[in-house]
Amino acid sequence: MASLNLQTILDKETRKKMIPYMLIAPVIIYYFLFWIFPVLNAIIESFKSIEGVWTLGNYIHIFKDPVFYRALLNTAFLVFFSVTIEFILAFGLALLINTKFKGSSFFLFLAMIPMALPAVAVGAMWSSGLATRGWMNSVLMTFKIVDDAGKIIFLAGGNIASMWLIILIDAWQVIPFVMIILLAGLQGIGAESREAGYIFGGTKFQVLRKITIPMLKPTITTAMILRIISAIQIWLIIVMLFGFNRIPVLLEQVVLNVDELGSDFFERIGMALSVIVALIVSAAAILYLKVSGSFEKEAEK
Amino acid sequence: MHRIIKRKLLRSARISSLYIIVAGIGFIIIFPMFFLFSFSFMSDYETYSEWPKPLVPSFRAEFMIDKDAEGYHLHIYNKADGAFAAFGPLFFTRAGEDLENLQKFIKRQANCAITPSGIGEQLDVVDKEGRVEFTLKKEFLANYILFFQVTRDAPAAVMRSLMVAGFTILISLSIGGMAGYAFARYYFKGKNLLKLSVLFVRMFPAVTIAIPMIIILARMGLADQPLGLSFVYSVGQISMNIWITASVFMAIPVSFEEAAMIFGTNRVGAFWHITLPLALPGLAACAMYSFIGSWNEVISAVVLTQFNPTFPVVVYKSLVGTQGQINLVTAGSVAQALPAIIFTLIIRKYILQMWGGVRV
Repeated sequence: MASLNLQTILDKETRKKMIPYMLIAPVIIYYFLFWIFPVLNAIIESFKSIEGVWTLGNYIHIFKDPVFYRALLNTAFLVFFSVTIEFILAFGLALLINTKFKGSSFFLFLAMIPMALPAVAVGAMWSSGLATRGWMNSVLMTFKIVDDAGKIIFLAGGNIASMWLIILIDAWQVIPFVMIILLAGLQGIGAESREAGYIFGGTKFQVLRKITIPMLKPTITTAMILRIISAIQIWLIIVMLFGFNRIPVLLEQVVLNVDELGSDFFERIGMALSVIVALIVSAAAILYLKVSGSFEKEAEK
Repeated sequence: MHRIIKRKLLRSARISSLYIIVAGIGFIIIFPMFFLFSFSFMSDYETYSEWPKPLVPSFRAEFMIDKDAEGYHLHIYNKADGAFAAFGPLFFTRAGEDLENLQKFIKRQANCAITPSGIGEQLDVVDKEGRVEFTLKKEFLANYILFFQVTRDAPAAVMRSLMVAGFTILISLSIGGMAGYAFARYYFKGKNLLKLSVLFVRMFPAVTIAIPMIIILARMGLADQPLGLSFVYSVGQISMNIWITASVFMAIPVSFEEAAMIFGTNRVGAFWHITLPLALPGLAACAMYSFIGSWNEVISAVVLTQFNPTFPVVVYKSLVGTQGQINLVTAGSVAQALPAIIFTLIIRKYILQMWGGVRV
């Protein structure tokens, strides 16, 4: 009798252990079919010449190209500043909306619209605005802030100025995205734990630092990782404002090679470049997880 | 007494500063979008010949015709200059061909409709009085109509895009949500590594995956089809949905499920009756991200479609073709943005439940 019981318990235990793997199995199967296959294919092709001979030529071609290093620097600059600025502003905004003022639901909808705008629309919006004869200068002139001679030439700035422009435009579109993830996290925490903090005499800042942010850690990690990954892959807005090759970034170079130039040779260059991009993104994500201590936290559990 | 007044003052100061900040942010959000919208209703003349450009499109255009020894001259009122300016051909006559060309020119440049005989009537007045001024109503949706005429495939492409988005939501939310639940609720070997490697999927540029995918989809008989495209889109969406749903499920205490299980339901029942309703807002947000991601994606679709393009591809290609026609470009952009915005509006209700509606 006792042994039978033990048997069923054991069975139950193993079955329980199987559940998470069963839940994850579809993802693994899916990724095997639709990701590992094409990616392996692309990696293999990136090590082959047009004639199908194994070679490092594609990578050497990239590393000899000065544009690649500019793209690398620009991307690093873009990712670091855009992710930092976007996170700080989005977090502030999420805390603000979380106070639930009158009209906050409408405000949330408003904040979500930029996120829903297609990249092409965002590109059209800003290129029509930042052109020397665009709506930005039209507004300034209509309100007599500048005269015709004083038109601001937005798009002719140097590399750094243009990068800041891109960071601002990206922030305009992406902050709502980060904000909603953070807001969802804040909702999950609930007001009780914060109220407890106040009852025990905490100031607003202390409660934020000691209670809200630590409890929000998993959400923050999610938001940051997703942002780091997509910030590295910003390209369409840059191409729509500046065209290819003027403000090179990594992914713009990939698209340029794969789609724009498109011949067999450049396709392989694009694939090699993609491998490099993937390595860099992974390194950045792992670095973030290490620095933020997400690994240790999971290990404690 | 004094203290109460002081506190009230402080409170109202805090509230008004909150609203000032909110209004400021709202302004920053609306300001550029207003011009995207505004430009999409402007005629070529308003967009290119008036400087500074009008900030709002006009509903009508004013014309003036006068005549001299050469023939008749057409002018249009330039709002920026505050005066009539020469418009169209140097001069024209009453010949039928001239009037037809003029009709086309006015339609194309000023988005106004007038028949050749209508022009003829105005010319009668010119003959009598030496000059005539008349106002025509602008066809307000002219850019949109032109955009859908130029891109004849647009309605079918919209349908295909909706299908792609629907499939993508279905695939990525079911597969991603299941895994997200596993990551949130269970501890198992390799959890960290798995959760991280799921993200690696997004790290390889999607454009590059699209190229080998052409062959894979062709083997499956899904090349150039909405379902095939949604398989590609789901790759990125699944990994994002896993991370979002994982944090959504994590926020719902396990104790709720355990309590339900004590009262006699099993894990599935507890999930179905307790966790899922609580997680619904987060899942809705996931669906929204998937829709937007799929609806707005261009570059993989450019690579992967041939005869059955999605709507963004149609817009993208027509925009690349009409370089400089910014009023047409904006009309196409607004047309493409509209469904995503409407979808956001619908799904907003569920996202709102995140705060207030559901107490976790």
